[in-house]
Amino acid sequence: MRDPFTVLGVDETAGDAEIRSRYLALVRDFPPDRAPDRFREYRAAYEALSDERKRLAAQLLRTNGAALARLSMAALGTAPAELSRATKRTVAALLAEGIMRTAAE
Amino acid sequence: MKKPQRRGPSPSVPIDTLAARGAEALQQERLKEAVELFKLVIRQEPRPEWKESLNEAYAGRARALAAKGMFKEAAMVLENTVAPDGTLREPLLYLKCLIREGQQPQQQKAAAHALLYAGNGRALPTTERTALEELAAALLVAVPQRPEPAGAAPGGRAQWLELAQAAREALAAWVNGAMGEEIDRLLNRISLRSAFRPLRLLLKTLTGGTQDAGRTKRLLETIPPGSPFFPLRQAVEAAVVGERVLDADGWARLTPQQQAFVAETRGLPAEAAQFLARSSEAARRGPGALFAFLLQQSGLPQADVRSACLNLLPQIPDRVQQFEKSFGPLSKVEQHRVQALAAEARGDWEKAERSWRAVAAAIAGEGGAQAKLSQGAIFRHLAKLAAEHPEIEGDGVADDTAVFYLERSREADPEHIPTVLELIGLYRKEFQDSDWHRVVDDAVQRFPDDSQVLLQATESAVARNAYKKAAGFARRLLKIDPINAAVRRQMIELQVAHARKQVRAKRPDLAAKELAGAAEWDRPDAPSAVLRIARGLVARQTGQEEQGEAWLREGVALAGGGVAGWFRAVLEAELMKSPGSARLRKELAHARETPPTKEAVMAIVAVLGQPEAAGNRKAVSGVLPGMYAWLLQAADFAWSPAEFETLAGALVRFEAFDLLQDYARAARRRDPADPALRFHQIVARSEGDADRLSMVETNDLEQLADAAADRQDFHTANRIRRFAFGNADAPFGRRRRGRPADLPDGFDIDDMDTDELLESMMDQMAGRAGDELRRLARDLGREGAVEHMIEEFRSGPLGRSMPRPMLRELCETVIAAALDDGRRGQGTAARSIPV
Repeated sequence: MRDPFTVLGVDETAGDAEIRSRYLALVRDFPPDRAPDRFREYRAAYEALSDERKRLAAQLLRTNGAALARLSMAALGTAPAELSRATKRTVAALLAEGIMRTAAE
Repeated sequence: MKKPQRRGPSPSVPIDTLAARGAEALQQERLKEAVELFKLVIRQEPRPEWKESLNEAYAGRARALAAKGMFKEAAMVLENTVAPDGTLREPLLYLKCLIREGQQPQQQKAAAHALLYAGNGRALPTTERTALEELAAALLVAVPQRPEPAGAAPGGRAQWLELAQAAREALAAWVNGAMGEEIDRLLNRISLRSAFRPLRLLLKTLTGGTQDAGRTKRLLETIPPGSPFFPLRQAVEAAVVGERVLDADGWARLTPQQQAFVAETRGLPAEAAQFLARSSEAARRGPGALFAFLLQQSGLPQADVRSACLNLLPQIPDRVQQFEKSFGPLSKVEQHRVQALAAEARGDWEKAERSWRAVAAAIAGEGGAQAKLSQGAIFRHLAKLAAEHPEIEGDGVADDTAVFYLERSREADPEHIPTVLELIGLYRKEFQDSDWHRVVDDAVQRFPDDSQVLLQATESAVARNAYKKAAGFARRLLKIDPINAAVRRQMIELQVAHARKQVRAKRPDLAAKELAGAAEWDRPDAPSAVLRIARGLVARQTGQEEQGEAWLREGVALAGGGVAGWFRAVLEAELMKSPGSARLRKELAHARETPPTKEAVMAIVAVLGQPEAAGNRKAVSGVLPGMYAWLLQAADFAWSPAEFETLAGALVRFEAFDLLQDYARAARRRDPADPALRFHQIVARSEGDADRLSMVETNDLEQLADAAADRQDFHTANRIRRFAFGNADAPFGRRRRGRPADLPDGFDIDDMDTDELLESMMDQMAGRAGDELRRLARDLGREGAVEHMIEEFRSGPLGRSMPRPMLRELCETVIAAALDDGRRGQGTAARSIPV
C-alpha cells in the first residue's frame, strides 16, 4: 500500500476529525461505483490512519510522503488562482491525447 | 513482354459456383480469398448482392489488419468500399485507423471524413453513431484547420459545421484571454444536445460559469473516461476544483500535458511550476536525486523540506551526514528509526531488530502516554517481523520471539485489544495453558464489555472446567451480541456439560431441568444435535420413553445419521454413564454394516475434536475400539493433506496408533515423497513416544524439521521438534534462538561436543560418582537407572535444553562407564549387578 498520508493528502499531525473529513470529501469525489480502484485506495489509507495507534505506527514504521505533498501544495497554492491563458498547444495536445485514447478503445 | 498469368479459378468455372465459393470463404473468414473471388464475379456481372459481399469481405479484412496494428493497410482496404457519396463501410473503424496512423495530414483527413457522417449517420447503429460523432466533434475542434465540405452541405451537416465553428471560436477566445461574456456568447451557440457539449461544459467551468465546486464536479463527471474530451476534463478538474482533488498524489497522477495545463491555467509562478516539474522528474530518477533536489529548495518551508528529506533517508542512509550538515543532527529516535527502516529495506533483520529496540528505548525516554503507544506499536511490529524472520531473536531466552514482543507490546500499551487477542491465540496454539488463562483473566478485568474478550474468557473457563464461570461470561456476551451463534452454541454445550455431571450424580431430574434451560439458546435454523441427544437420553431415564426416543433420533439425524450419528449418541451415553448405552451400541453396530464414506469418517473425527471428547479420553477409549474395523476400511481413501492432518490429530489424541499406521502407510503408497506422512508414520510406529525413536527415525525427524524450517513452515518444524525433542527451539543445524534462563553464562550446548557434555554432566554429578550409580543400577536395573538419570537431568537447566535422545545416549554412556569402573575396581562383586 502507498503511504496513507500522501494518498489522503493529510499532514502527519492530522487528527481523527481532519482525516475523516478529508476521507469523506475524497469519497464524495470518487465514489465506489464510479471510481472503484481509487475508492479502495482511499478506504485502505483511511483504515491505516483511523485511530491514534495506527497513525503513530504509520509515522514510525514506514516512510511517508506527506511532507513532499505539503511542498507540492505550497508550490501549487491551495486557493484556485485567477485563471490565465492556457496555451493553444497544451489544449490541442490534451484533445489529441483524448482522441487517440478513444480511437484505441 | 508478356504479362504473367494470374493464378485463379479457370474461366470455365460457372459464375454462380465462384460466388458460392466466395460466400463460403467469407463465412469461414478466409477473407483474402473471398475478396479475390467476389472481385472476379463482379468483373463478369456486378450484381448488388455480390458487391455487398465484397464490401463485407473488405471490412472483415480491414478489421483483421487493424487488430494486428496495421492501421494504414486497414484504412486502405476500407477505401475500396467507398460509395458514390464518399461514405465508407465501417466508418468508425476507418476513422480510428486514420487517427491511430498518427500523422497530422491523416488527422485532417479523419476530420474531413468524420464530417461526412456528421448529422448524417442515421443508417449506423446508435452506439457507433454516438462514438463517431464524439470523435468527429473532438477532431473538428482539434485539427488546425476546419475541413470544408465539397459543394453545398446537406441540412444536418451544415448545422454540424456551424456547431464546430462555434466550438473552435469559443476555445480560441478562451485561449486568447477573451472576456467571459464574449466566450459565453460563443458557447451559447453550442447546443447542449450536440456532441460538442463536453467542450461547452469545460469552457464554462474554466470561465467560472459554475461557482459551486460540488456541482462543477458532478457536471464534469458527465464526461466519461471513454470520451475524447476526458484528458481535458481531468486537467480542468485539477485546475479548477484542485483544492479537493489535487495534492502531490493527484499531481503525480496527471499526465505531463495535464500538469502543464494546470500550471498554466492556475497562473503558477515560474519557479513553482518548475519545482513541480523538477520534483516529479527527480522522484522518477530515484530517492538520491530527489534528496539532492530538495536540499536546494531554499525558498520553500524548511521544516517541510527537512521532513521530506528525513523520509528519504532510509532509502539513502549514506546521505545522513549530508542531511545533518544541512538541518543539524538527527535526534536519537530519528537516527535509530532511519537505521531500522534502512536495515529492513536491505533485509538485515538482526540490525533492524536492534535499531527498533533502540527506537523504543529512546522513545521511552520521552515519557508520556503517546510514547507508550509508540513503544507498543514498535513491539507489535517486531512481533510481526519475528513471525516472518527467524533472525529476530527477542531476548534470546523466550521460546517464541513473537510472543515475547507481543508481551512487551502489551506491557507498553495494555489497552490494545488486538494485541491481547493475538497473544491469547498464540498461547492457545502453543498449548501454553497457564499463560493463556493468565492473559485472559487480565483481559476480562480490563475489557469487561468486549465481545471477543468475553468469548475468550468463556473458552478459557470451559477449558478449566469452570462451567458456571463460563456460563456467566457467555451470558454477558449474549447481552452485548444477542445473535452470536457461536456463543449460543457454547451456552448449550456448557449446560449440556453441567447436565452430564448431574446425570452422573444420579440426578436426571436436575439434568432435565438444565437441558430445558439449554434449549432456550437453541435456534430453529441451527438446531443442536448434542442437546437433542442429551435430552433424549435424560428423558428416557426420567420415564419419558416416547419423547426421549424422538429427541434421540432427531439428534442422531442432526449429527449426520448412520455411524456418525449413533457414534455421537453412544459417546454421549458414555459421558453421562447413562444406563441405556448397550442398546445404543447395537444401533451403532447395525449402522456400521454400511461401508464408510469420507464424510462419515470426518464427522466422527469432528466429534473426537469436541472438547467433551478430548477431555474424556476414557469415555472415548470405551467406544473407539469397536470402530477400528470400520475405520480401517477408509484407510485407502484419497485424503487431502488437510483432511489427513485432522484425521491423524484425532487418532494420535486417542492413541489409535495402529489405525494411524495403516492410514499413513496407505497414504505413503499414494504419495511417497510427502514428508508429513513420514512424520505420521514415525509417530505411529513409536506410539507417540519419543523415547522409542530409533536413531534413523531421529535423523529423519531432524531432517524433516530442518526442511520445514527452510521452507518457512515453522508450525510443522516446531511440531516435529516438540514431538521428537520436547522443545520447539531445539537445535538442528540452526542457531538456537533461545536458551534457558538459568543456564550459566557462557554455557551453550551448541558449542560443545559430546565429550565436553559428558564431562560437564559428570561435573554436575559431583558427589555422586560410581558407587551411587552402581547402587542405582542395582536397585532399578540398568534401564531403570538410565530413566532415573534422564528424569533427574531434565529437572536441571542442562537436561532441559538437551534433545531427549541425546540425553538418553549420554545417560546410558555414564551408567555403562560407572558399571565398567565397578567391574574393574571390585572384581567379581560388580558382576552380580543385575543389568
